[in-house]
Amino acid sequence: MLEGAELYFNVDHGYLEGLVRGCKASLLTQQDYINLVQCETLEDLKIHLQTTDYGNFLANQTNPLTVSKIDTEMRKRLCGEFEYFRNHSLEPLSTFLTYMTCSYMIDNVILLMNGALQKKSVKEILGKCHPLGRFTEMEAVNIAETPSDLFNAILIETPLAPFFQDCMSENALDELNIELLRNKLYKSYLEAFYKFCKNHGDVTADVMCPILEFEADRRAFIITLNSFGTELSKEDRETLYPTFGKLYPEGLRLLAQAEDFDQMKNVADHYGVYKPLFEAVGGSGGKTLEDVFYEREVQMNVLAFNRQFHYGVFYAYVKLKEQEMRNIVWIAECISQRHRTKINSYIPIL
Amino acid sequence: MAALDLRAELDSLLLQLLGDLEELEGKRAVLNARVEEGWLSLAKARYAMGTKSVGPLQYASHMEPQVCLQASEAQEGLQKFKVVRSGVHAPEEVGPREAALRRRKAPTKTPEPQSSEAPRDPLNWFGILVPHSLRQAQASFRDGLQLAADIASLQNRIDWSRSQLRGLQEKLKQLEPGAA
Repeated sequence: MLEGAELYFNVDHGYLEGLVRGCKASLLTQQDYINLVQCETLEDLKIHLQTTDYGNFLANQTNPLTVSKIDTEMRKRLCGEFEYFRNHSLEPLSTFLTYMTCSYMIDNVILLMNGALQKKSVKEILGKCHPLGRFTEMEAVNIAETPSDLFNAILIETPLAPFFQDCMSENALDELNIELLRNKLYKSYLEAFYKFCKNHGDVTADVMCPILEFEADRRAFIITLNSFGTELSKEDRETLYPTFGKLYPEGLRLLAQAEDFDQMKNVADHYGVYKPLFEAVGGSGGKTLEDVFYEREVQMNVLAFNRQFHYGVFYAYVKLKEQEMRNIVWIAECISQRHRTKINSYIPIL
Repeated sequence: MAALDLRAELDSLLLQLLGDLEELEGKRAVLNARVEEGWLSLAKARYAMGTKSVGPLQYASHMEPQVCLQASEAQEGLQKFKVVRSGVHAPEEVGPREAALRRRKAPTKTPEPQSSEAPRDPLNWFGILVPHSLRQAQASFRDGLQLAADIASLQNRIDWSRSQLRGLQEKLKQLEPGAA
């Protein structure tokens, strides 16, 4: 694309970039987290959140306040902000923002299919779907019996259609196949997003490509870790790894052969970025691999704001906001379970 | 002489009762710790997987229990509880099963083994690739199950011992109206 984005970016996207930077400045600070951690009940938490940028978002909630309600309201708020960005955006930012919503759409599709397997009513699940991943054909997803059905009848009109190429099969959708479908869809989505950013070039590629590469590597590690002791075969596992990132292709080949955490750690030791991450796992804080990866993600997303005139700020803002929501939900769970030993395991952002 | 024997019996019963009480306290503390751990591990799983991925959306309203509670009579009306895995019933247990077997989560069907497959692992409700914290939660709750059955048996034994104790004290009063 056009080099020298500094000259042209603000014409189309300057207003939205300014807006997203303003939103980023209103993320919770360390002092806010310290106040939240000292709350005794969820009502206290609600009162403390009123003094932050969240304001009265829980005002209409009936008693009793639950963690699930807090999470739902926070998601609605983020969705409101995101929809504002999307409605005011021009191409190619609109395509970029649509790519961002695809991951939530995949989650919603899987939620609906699992619900169909458990014979739940569609209305019940629709209420719990992620608002960012809403699409009009959602109500029909539970009728599909096989992935080809799902594609041909329902999802062909949605942005998810191009990601179905590897997943077409006539197998009935049981738990294993739904999991495989989820991971294959996500793999295709990540590869498509990466290609889009790379083709866009310029500062966006500089900022987004490392972030997406890290996401691909993270998925490879987490899929491997969670597949130990399950019925997923090594060949199946290898088909779920995204084909880009630092680990591609040698690391992924080694990872596919790993059979326990130590073998996975040996693979990670070949890469300078991942060696210290794996070393931080366990230890006195009891950190899991997921915690360590979330911390690294937060670091990369905060750094994205150091450069101007690129779309990565929108992606980074949404991811940082999600981490903030995870932090608040964690603190709320510790408060409601009255189990305060691990309450400080949140990841501070600002 | 009868009074001395009775006193000896009373003493040993009292000692056993106190021992049971101590064991009950210990087991209750461990059960509380396991259940707390289980809930915290579930919260950790929600942190890793997303809040709506570990919740009531993932399980059906009708479910097959993996373990069943088996009540058996030991001696003099004392009931003991044992946790057994369902689906591995021996044929000779069919008789007392109807009266004594109580299901932990009650489906509306009668308790007969209709299919030969073992009940599916509830861990798979949340997907095949679940994080470690979810497995830990399942292990904590499983440990808690056995403890709960033990605690129920212990509480029964304590109640039974107390009634025995009262009976013996009555008898002692009758034998020695001024003493005891």
